[in-house]
Amino acid sequence: MACIQTRGLAYGQISYKDMDISEGRATFISGPSGCGKSTLFRLFNKTLSPTAGAVLYHGEDAAGLDSIALRRDVLLAGQAVFLFDATVGENFTAFREARDAAPLADEDMRFFLRLCCANFPLNAPCPHLSGGERQRVFLALCLSFQPKVLLLDEPTSALDQETAERFMTQVLGFCREHGMTVAAVSHDPNLARRHAENLISLRAEPEQA
Amino acid sequence: MNGVAQIQLGSFLLTYVLLLVVLAIMKKCRIRQSRLLVLASMRMTLQLVAAGYALTFLFDHPHPLLTMAYLVLLVFFTIYLVLSRNKRLNARFRLVVGVSIACCGLGVIAFFVVCIVRQSIFDPQYMIPISGMLMGNALTGVSLGLKSFWNGLEGQRARVDALLNIGAAPQRVLFPFVCQALETALVPTLNSMLGMGIVVLPGMMTGQILSGTAPTTAILYQITIMVAICSCVCLCCFCSLYFGYKTLWNAQQQVQF
Repeated sequence: MACIQTRGLAYGQISYKDMDISEGRATFISGPSGCGKSTLFRLFNKTLSPTAGAVLYHGEDAAGLDSIALRRDVLLAGQAVFLFDATVGENFTAFREARDAAPLADEDMRFFLRLCCANFPLNAPCPHLSGGERQRVFLALCLSFQPKVLLLDEPTSALDQETAERFMTQVLGFCREHGMTVAAVSHDPNLARRHAENLISLRAEPEQA
Repeated sequence: MNGVAQIQLGSFLLTYVLLLVVLAIMKKCRIRQSRLLVLASMRMTLQLVAAGYALTFLFDHPHPLLTMAYLVLLVFFTIYLVLSRNKRLNARFRLVVGVSIACCGLGVIAFFVVCIVRQSIFDPQYMIPISGMLMGNALTGVSLGLKSFWNGLEGQRARVDALLNIGAAPQRVLFPFVCQALETALVPTLNSMLGMGIVVLPGMMTGQILSGTAPTTAILYQITIMVAICSCVCLCCFCSLYFGYKTLWNAQQQVQF
């Protein structure tokens, strides 16, 4: 069954072909730079509204749904990594506070960190971590909310091949186990080929005059 | 004590020699603001000369309408200057800033003149200098607050995006920037309160002493005006930011700045 569908979707100059993201599966989206992959994800979680067409979430037009509730269901781990200048553990607390969620037990934080190949102590200060390490901590934070749909925008851009592979296997395994839907954008065609259950390729399609 | 000594025109012109020193230092350090310095000092001279004549006229012909007209003009220019220094605000935000400065500024002015000094709100001798001082500080404070709010937001776009993307409410995400900016806006006023009397003999008090008022009276005025300035800056800034930041998201909880 399709979890997210697009119908005649367009944002500014970018128009998208209709697509279906199947529930409980891992869909990879590829396409040349500037074809609107990140914008597509922002349309999915309604931090942007389409200029034409619609995004359907479980068959309902997202425009009519409560934005905050939708974003909690369809969580986007964006390309730009952000962590507060605090320890790893404090970041978990701060992120959960931002959503008015109850704090996570230390055990659970460690579980999600391990899952994302970010096995750092909870008292490690984030500003001292490297780019790739920060990316994994950020993804662990996002994953810890266990959304129904997880949108990953270039999740492995700062990781070496081996770590990227391990990260993808573990994260997708966890999501499959918990019936979560994953949509990921990746520049790495091998990674996509190995892990995708669905592949959608976008082409730069300038709007017809 | 006698009335204040008059400054002769010749010695008055001597002060501009000091500006040449500033100009020389700016040239040496390659600060490309020499045009601004010239422009600012020229505008200051012209504006003050104009204000001098306007005030002389007002004091000679006191009329409630004239005082009010002066006040309206003052508020209008304060709003105009604040907005011209913060051009990136959206239209609704600009409206909020204007209304906040007008309401909070006039409110504090009226409270000060009527309840503390106990003079008529139409008396130009009290109304004009006091409103000038309060609005001048509101101008600096709100400009600084808005600037720091905007710089904070732009510098931390990743933070705003990340938190919105995980489903945090825009209010929750943006409010810390309001608090931070308010703090930045208040610090200069608070710092000047700290140094007051030791390092700084403030302008109002100095002016009163120069014109022959007893220092004890002068300090009473100074203390009350400082408190009024502090609350005026705080109120104007808080209302501008608190009601203004709500214009940054729409009904779909999408943030745009």
